[in-house]
Amino acid sequence: MMEKLKLENLTTEQINFQLISHSGNARSKIIQSLREYREGNTAESENLLAKAEEDLQGAHDIHFQMVQKEASGEKTDISLLLMHAEDHLMSTVTMKELVREMLEIFKKRDD
Amino acid sequence: MKKILLACSSGMSTSLLVTKMSEHAKSIGDEAEIWAVGQDRAKKEMENADVVLIGPQMSFLKKELQGEGEKYGVPVDVIDTVAYGMADGKKAYEQALNLMGEQ
Repeated sequence: MMEKLKLENLTTEQINFQLISHSGNARSKIIQSLREYREGNTAESENLLAKAEEDLQGAHDIHFQMVQKEASGEKTDISLLLMHAEDHLMSTVTMKELVREMLEIFKKRDD
Repeated sequence: MKKILLACSSGMSTSLLVTKMSEHAKSIGDEAEIWAVGQDRAKKEMENADVVLIGPQMSFLKKELQGEGEKYGVPVDVIDTVAYGMADGKKAYEQALNLMGEQ
């Protein structure tokens, strides 16, 4: 687990990489979670989804600081890499919400 | 000539890491060919590489890619999370050399 990072200690590029890295770790765990469920490992599946949420929290912490910074009047440079990082974050959040719902459906069905 | 292939879902974030790794290799006088591809091309291109590093968003594909890599004797691993998160080209380059057994 990566320690909490302060925005002011990071370059713009590193901020983008932090977003992608945390979202990416989460994304892998979300897919792995479904695969574990498929193999019948329900506990591990839930464990991975919980860990994915921790990774996403890491991304949200950075993102929250960015939004705060902009709200305080300090502009953020918009780059293609930042848009790409936002893409990663948004799609992973969507995946997480959907997979959580899917696992609930499966559990109910398989009970 | 060291050939290092980086792969992530679209090949975008790793492209930037390629630049940083290449700069580092050059600064220490190493001859290295480093390039990035999206996840769909990773399997096709890995036989041309000495080592493959994948982005964290692809770590769920690690086993599959490692299996493919074994066919060509190419080691595959996920880029160290800290190195990736800090866009640290030096660290990522050293990880690649380690995997190649050159360090």
